[in-house]
Amino acid sequence: MSDLDDFKATYFDECSELLTELEEQFAAIEEGERGADRLNAVFRAIHSIKGGAGAFGFSALVGFAHAYETLLDYVRDGRVELTDDVVNLCIRANDIVADHVNAAQSGEDLPADYGAEEKSRFDALARGETASEDDDMGGEMVEEFDIDFTPVMVNLDGGGSGFAAGEAPVEDVFEAAPMEAADGQWEIRFTPHRALYARANDPLLLFRELAALGTMQVRAILSDVPPLSDFEPFAVYCAWEITLVAPGLGEEAIREVFEFVDGDCDIVIAQAGIVPGAGLDLGDFDAAPAPTEPQEPDLSSLLALTEEEVASPARPAEPLPSFAPDLPAEPVGAQDKFEEAPALSFADLAAEIPPPAPKIEATPVAAAAAKPASSEGEEGGGRSVGVQSIRVDLDKVDRVVNMVGELVITQSMLTQQMDETLRARYTELVRGLEVLAQTTRGLQDSVMAIRAQPVKSVFSRMPRLARELATKTNKKIKLETIGENTEIDKTVIEQLSDPLTHMIRNSADHGIESPEKRLAAGKPETGTIRLSAEQAGGNILIIVEDDGAGINREKVLQLARNKGIVAADITPTDEQIDQLIFAPGFSTAEAVSDISGRGVGMDVVLSNIKKIGGSVHVRSWTGKGCRMTLRLPLTLAVLDVMLVKVGGGPYVVPLSSIVETMQCSRASFERVPSGGRVLQVRGEYVQVIDLGQRFGLSTQTAPDDQFVVLCETEGNQKVALVVDDIIGQQQVVIKSLEENFERVEGIAGGTILGDGNVALIVDVQGLRTTHLHQNAA
Amino acid sequence: MTLRVLTVDDSRTILAMLHHTLSNAGFEVLQAEDGKQGLDVLKAQAVDVVITDINMPVMDGIEFIKNVRATGQHNSLPILILTTETSQDKRDQGKAAGGTGWIVKPFDPEKLISVIHRVVH
Repeated sequence: MSDLDDFKATYFDECSELLTELEEQFAAIEEGERGADRLNAVFRAIHSIKGGAGAFGFSALVGFAHAYETLLDYVRDGRVELTDDVVNLCIRANDIVADHVNAAQSGEDLPADYGAEEKSRFDALARGETASEDDDMGGEMVEEFDIDFTPVMVNLDGGGSGFAAGEAPVEDVFEAAPMEAADGQWEIRFTPHRALYARANDPLLLFRELAALGTMQVRAILSDVPPLSDFEPFAVYCAWEITLVAPGLGEEAIREVFEFVDGDCDIVIAQAGIVPGAGLDLGDFDAAPAPTEPQEPDLSSLLALTEEEVASPARPAEPLPSFAPDLPAEPVGAQDKFEEAPALSFADLAAEIPPPAPKIEATPVAAAAAKPASSEGEEGGGRSVGVQSIRVDLDKVDRVVNMVGELVITQSMLTQQMDETLRARYTELVRGLEVLAQTTRGLQDSVMAIRAQPVKSVFSRMPRLARELATKTNKKIKLETIGENTEIDKTVIEQLSDPLTHMIRNSADHGIESPEKRLAAGKPETGTIRLSAEQAGGNILIIVEDDGAGINREKVLQLARNKGIVAADITPTDEQIDQLIFAPGFSTAEAVSDISGRGVGMDVVLSNIKKIGGSVHVRSWTGKGCRMTLRLPLTLAVLDVMLVKVGGGPYVVPLSSIVETMQCSRASFERVPSGGRVLQVRGEYVQVIDLGQRFGLSTQTAPDDQFVVLCETEGNQKVALVVDDIIGQQQVVIKSLEENFERVEGIAGGTILGDGNVALIVDVQGLRTTHLHQNAA
Repeated sequence: MTLRVLTVDDSRTILAMLHHTLSNAGFEVLQAEDGKQGLDVLKAQAVDVVITDINMPVMDGIEFIKNVRATGQHNSLPILILTTETSQDKRDQGKAAGGTGWIVKPFDPEKLISVIHRVVH
């Protein structure tokens, strides 16, 4: 049943997009944008979630979404006012929908009454509103809310073995027609209106369907056809009488055939040989919205039925010229000459030349319908209008990215091969290579752009977080977002949510002061957290800034000393103190609060950001606020590295982990009892790893000509790498060693340099860990 | 002759299901994600029947149907509306706009096919 699984996967994909869209729409609605387009977009999202859920039999989700959708519909047409309370209820409802979706996806069961409270509030809202407006309508409205929406599960096989077999019985809503015991002969009179043809219905098809029910005879009634001089080509003059012999057939089954044309025709169904009126159910017609018209006695005489039986008020809105008086009522026998064949050809003719449609607009139903429809039609509802897109498997994109990477390397290799003599000799070739270089760069940028997505998807979740935080901390907080269309690599975006959440929590909890304190300090009562994104060269900067109290350096330093993070005899600079908030195990929150102190500190932010090749920097102004800057790579496929030489061969060290470099002759090494070396950097002792030694390479370089590359690893731990030479910085495309060869301790991967040589990427974190193990052993 | 169906829905799930059901039944299936795309398809290709959702961004189903009929070139093109059981008013609006019939979501595949055959030759 993989088809169903595929559909489910599509559905859950779609749900997550729709839920994100809901977040976005409500963020705007909260800002006071309560236009019809917003509400329509919200309604559509819930409607789509419900629709799919019904198909898969997620009945709890369908039930909740249905109640929510009904409320939204009321809000949309103004029956329920969109107050802040209602907005909050909706936001809560979005969560419940999301929980239902998650539960459905993981196959868990939520408690039966999950969301029941909200559901009853939906009802109460609708009831309250209707009661104040129109008491008579009250009962009806409530009833509408109580509609028990039973999902019908899809049976895509068409046969008995449904995909969802065993979960719940598959119902067929269409087969609800009760079979009436009948003698089996039905007389049907069918008079189509112009509207029937305007909507592309075709009597011929209706007859075909009727014919499938039993034995049928069709007679065309052409008594309405006017003299040729009065003939209107687009008018409808033809009606039909049908005799259907089908023992055991109920009237409902016949009505069902005419289901689509109800209101677009006059139809009278009678059982032959039954007392007039007994076999008729005219209730449907009485409820028809079209204006009534007195029926014409000559028609009823044609049918030889009583007036009441033909009472068919569902006449077209525009009075068709009645030509009946011109023609004498014909005896039934005279119609025999029109039997069957002419009827069919006439139907064809009518279908080919349908009457013009504009008259349809004149009916009251259409007028009422036009209003909401046109307002819906104008808006874009939060989706970008006119942007066409296709869905591509990420693997395919990555393959292209990798191949373009190779191309870049080959291109720079070619350029390097051109020495001066060649350049002088082959000017055309040189020019060609320059064009190639340009095109390749353009290609690389375009390919990277495919993987890029606007940060909006992450930013949009934050206003809500800020609001929740404000409520929990009793502070007034406003969140501003800037540059949300800035694009970053998809993988980076996925990793961004947790760090950002943590940083905003930190700002709200520790940065922004209480309203009283703020007023006392001469600041506006409401604190501002500004979340912004911008591109700076090959990096993206995400900045979380607040206008709170700034970092309490005294407290931070005190705590750091207490926890042994900073030695007692060291006095760090202000900037260093600020960075301490990222130290592992550091947390200034005195009580572990619900908000930022979830047992982990800001060090989690740092390690998460480092994992995606970024860095974090914090700057604080006492009493004025604090700014945290995330520097992220535009893409993960290309790595900024420093090229070094070890034992004559090239190695690369990721730039993001390098703190500083220095010449060995200037570094102050010290020996430790175990025989290893340590490096003293500003009072701190750092392990030294000689890469040549570590990789078992013989080095001719004199120790004093060597360099030290000071790197920082996860959790602010430092390690000093000794290398023979530093060549320079460059960008490289990462190649997996595990995929192409095998995992090597201390090496994170490989890359191909411009000259075609392979360079290995040093795994700084891995080196440090294995070094520790070796020392321990 | 293979009948060509244009399906218009903003839900990928529904589009996928329609595609599966209809192509299994031997129809050729075209897809559009909103009314505007649907109109573009109709401009470029001849289709035998249209199945459209009502609630869609950019151009909803009602507008879409009105626009199709307004072209004057698709007067006899059957258009089926996808509705839910409870949205009688949408059904009526769709019909008023020129819709031929409707299909109740969630649909039963067999019923879907029989409804299509009810409106196409």
